Amino acid sequence: MPAHDETTSYRNQNRTTAGLALWTLAWLATLAVARFGPEFLWEAQPVASWIAVAVNVLVGIAWIVAFARFLRAQDDLWRKISLDALAVTLGVGWIVGFGYFVADAAGIVAYDINIALFPALLGIAYLVAVVVGWIRYR
Amino acid sequence: MKNRVADLRAEHGWTQADLAQRIGVSRQSINAIETGKFDPSLPVAFRLAELFELTIEDIFTVDR
Repeated sequence: MPAHDETTSYRNQNRTTAGLALWTLAWLATLAVARFGPEFLWEAQPVASWIAVAVNVLVGIAWIVAFARFLRAQDDLWRKISLDALAVTLGVGWIVGFGYFVADAAGIVAYDINIALFPALLGIAYLVAVVVGWIRYR
Repeated sequence: MKNRVADLRAEHGWTQADLAQRIGVSRQSINAIETGKFDPSLPVAFRLAELFELTIEDIFTVDR
């Protein structure tokens, strides 16, 4: 078992949290560029659009790595709260996603829902689950 | 799982924050361990045992 160093552990938590925040902002920025670039920054240039999407995906992969590092740096309890929240988020994604798919296939959906709402829903589910976990163990 | 963490901490006159700082977890973790809501990982259990100069079995007992 490696020796425990409180200062290193605390610094590592802060560093990975800051890293996650930065990669989240970078991903949001590249997403905005990929979404609105074709309308406001370049017009009818598919190559530019492809590059913007590729950059967004690459930054997204870096965000996944940053999130994994963030989880590993947390203490036991916060890692459990985060993993429980991820389980809830995955469940919400499957239930809502397949529920909508089945309802749409049955022709009982009155209007199409913007697909962009789906990741937003997952983000809200994750945040709510983290807050519930924090309240449960405080 | 039952544990004596709250008693041992009180014997040393430490707050939850003091103990949390000494073993490198959040104060919330100490509170959750003491109230039995959360069982710590093996590394944290070892750090507690080392800090209190006891064995893990002296601190944690299976709740049957």
